[in-house]
Amino acid sequence: MTATWSLACPRCGEARLGEIDLSGRGRIVAYTVQNVPGDEFLNEAPYAYVIVELEEGGRITGWMPTVRREEDLAIGDRVRFSTSYKPGVQFVKDVPGVE
Amino acid sequence: MRETWVVAAASNRYGKMKESGREAATRVAWEAIERSGLAPKDIGYTFVSNAFGVAERQAHVGPLINTSLGIPDVPSCTIESACSSSSAGLHEAFVHVAGGFADAALVVGVEKLSHLDTLASTSYFAMGADYAFETKNGATFPGLYATLADAYQHAFRTQPEMFGSIAIKNHANAALNPHAQFRKPISLDTYLNSPIIASPLRLYDCCPFSDGAAAVVVAAKEFVRTPKTEPLVIRASARSGSIGDMHDRPDLLGLPATRTAAEKAFRQAKMEPKDIDFLEVHDCFTIAEALALEDLGFYPRGSAARESLEGSTALHGRLPVNPSGGLKAKGHPVSATGAGQVVEIFEQFNGLAGARAVPKADTALAHNVGATGSSCSVHIFSRR
Ligand SMILES: CC(C)(COP(=O)(O)OP(=O)(O)OC[C@H]1O[C@@H](n2cnc3c(N)ncnc32)[C@H](O)[C@@H]1OP(=O)(O)O)[C@@H](O)C(=O)NCCC(=O)NCCS
Repeated sequence: MTATWSLACPRCGEARLGEIDLSGRGRIVAYTVQNVPGDEFLNEAPYAYVIVELEEGGRITGWMPTVRREEDLAIGDRVRFSTSYKPGVQFVKDVPGVE
Repeated sequence: MRETWVVAAASNRYGKMKESGREAATRVAWEAIERSGLAPKDIGYTFVSNAFGVAERQAHVGPLINTSLGIPDVPSCTIESACSSSSAGLHEAFVHVAGGFADAALVVGVEKLSHLDTLASTSYFAMGADYAFETKNGATFPGLYATLADAYQHAFRTQPEMFGSIAIKNHANAALNPHAQFRKPISLDTYLNSPIIASPLRLYDCCPFSDGAAAVVVAAKEFVRTPKTEPLVIRASARSGSIGDMHDRPDLLGLPATRTAAEKAFRQAKMEPKDIDFLEVHDCFTIAEALALEDLGFYPRGSAARESLEGSTALHGRLPVNPSGGLKAKGHPVSATGAGQVVEIFEQFNGLAGARAVPKADTALAHNVGATGSSCSVHIFSRR
């Protein structure tokens, strides 16, 4: 299962792929708070770059503009997709009961 | 397959170069050919690596280098495999010479980025990752390796001192290396107090931005006959790949391409990790050195950072790792790095390593990673 563009499964090579809709919810697998950005994130640092395990399976990366310190996030935390408007896929913390 | 040797290698001092990449590459190539006792006209093929040549407005630099070496009719091509570019070039040279398509071949890697600022360099380096699925979501190179470090420290409950010991050891070795960018030892305090670049990675966990050039001359044993130097017999030249996006791999606790390249290399060489006297491994970040030693089969998973703190990998430890100072402290001029690792092994074999000579240098392994491990080269060398 992959959320990355591909014509075949990166792990087993199977080319008969199906598509599924994602809830946009998942958990943090690993993350970093970056202080030295590249040009497309020039005015955003510090922010978290995150690897997320999706509820449906598969992994995706994204960034969290509101996470500015290492201690503000932990492996295993729940996050949900917020927008991919600019510059990339954004996540926010998924706090139960809060939309 | 013909027995194939590295007959000479040379590099400049890493750091900041005044001259252009093309000039530096030609100069180290000339020096390596001269050291080898061969003549430029003996070269049958030139493999050039210069992944970020466009930062100097230059592509297709091979013919310019050959022309300035006085061998314009020799074919050349550019080999790009991110940070493992020139070890990929060495592999191609090996294939050509061992396969009988050339009697001797030149491998040269060069990078010059020091005219760019931190922002521009960070943006260039991120091009080695997946733009659409990593970089566009905010990843930088230090950031990608930082997620590996995050996963590792979470899984194995390591302490910052363990990663610090890798940086301290590599800075100590580099202090003894005239080719190194940084020639001053650092203390644990310096390490711990250095700023966070991408948590948990501090400044001293990171390799620097570096200019540099390195060249290697490869030739068939039967062509050289009486070598002028102590040649490195290429016992294995193996490459491997793995899933391009790090997050799509089954786990984050290692680089699969290192594991598979190492398996191939040890099989080719008919050797095991215990047969290796010292290593040059790809330590673009301290976490990368720990992962390399585990993936190559020298230490069990989760233990390499601990071993480093105990001194096992120091110059006079049980298994000297990165006597050159590694990418961390010798420097990391991306496309020169793979060839530069061979320069260190050549100098160790030839008694040219001075105060950083390892106690025993009869066999060595060089490990060079492209990007976050989507490419990997492993070479094993021994004396004749
Ligand atoms: C860590 C990093 C962001 C620092 O950026 P930079 O532009 O070099 O930083 P500066 O120029 O502001 O350097 C500040 C000082 O720290 C020193 N320095 C820079 N990088 C260093 C490093 N990695 N280790 C130790 N010292 C370093 C500089 O020499 C300078 O010292 P000075 O003030 O005495 O001259 C940058 O080196 C980096 O991104 N490294 C990783 C490169 C990378 O990703 N390579 C590809 C890996 S596969």
